[in-house]
Amino acid sequence: MISAYLSRLKEYASFDESLEISPYAKMMGFRLRRQDGNLMTAMTFNSNHIGSPYPPTLHGGTVASLMEMAALMQLIWDKDMGHLPKAIDITVDYLRSGKPEDTYARARVFRRGRRFATLHAEAWQSDPEKPIASAMLHFQLSE
Amino acid sequence: MIPHAQKLGLRLSDQQGESLIIEMPYKAEQEAVSGSGIVANGAITTLLDTALGAAVYDQFETFRRIVTLDLRVDYFEKPQPFSTIVVKTRCLKVTDQMVFVQGDAYSGEGSSPIAHGIAVFSYAEMETNK
Repeated sequence: MISAYLSRLKEYASFDESLEISPYAKMMGFRLRRQDGNLMTAMTFNSNHIGSPYPPTLHGGTVASLMEMAALMQLIWDKDMGHLPKAIDITVDYLRSGKPEDTYARARVFRRGRRFATLHAEAWQSDPEKPIASAMLHFQLSE
Repeated sequence: MIPHAQKLGLRLSDQQGESLIIEMPYKAEQEAVSGSGIVANGAITTLLDTALGAAVYDQFETFRRIVTLDLRVDYFEKPQPFSTIVVKTRCLKVTDQMVFVQGDAYSGEGSSPIAHGIAVFSYAEMETNK
């Protein structure tokens, strides 16, 4: 299902598509984007994402799950995987508080073996040079 | 109340000594794959983050402003389908600027944890009441 969804998108050099194939991704307002050949995952701001009201900041969990989604999408995208890799762990560093606005995440595959993959992800808002969080992730690739 | 915790339906169900018990009832909109009954990792991560933050607040008599420095989540196994996920927290250490906390997540009737979270929070006194 996910592979069919992504292979359709591979024909486009740029796109911005809602990740409605997953109920959780849909609820979170996650979108998959491609710009200048780079894949990223976006989270459209919604007041439901707030974790602390005064001043309004994003819940850290929303940013962590956005980075995990970006890592998962990058893994599937790179190798046209037909099944979902399984997350083993995620270590998040929170660098700046998330403002009540759209957030983006991208992931880089550090190493991809036969069974496991190691990725680094970062999340930012208006300025990609000022990440609000970064993460290291491990996934199990084998079924 | 925390809007995103409310969205996920999180609730404090019990307090056992120093530990908080926080629950996330199953909701179809939290599924990673439609119809699977399996809650997305992102929701489990957010549950752990929220529960650990609550455990930090619980350490103080007065309100503090807290910030998560880092959070690590290990996903041991998939949660049981269509089941409530419960986190039990444990505060490891409070220093003059930081709190170290951890928590285990369980699903359904399972007695072995499905995930584990460990985090460091920094805190500061609130200077004035808003």
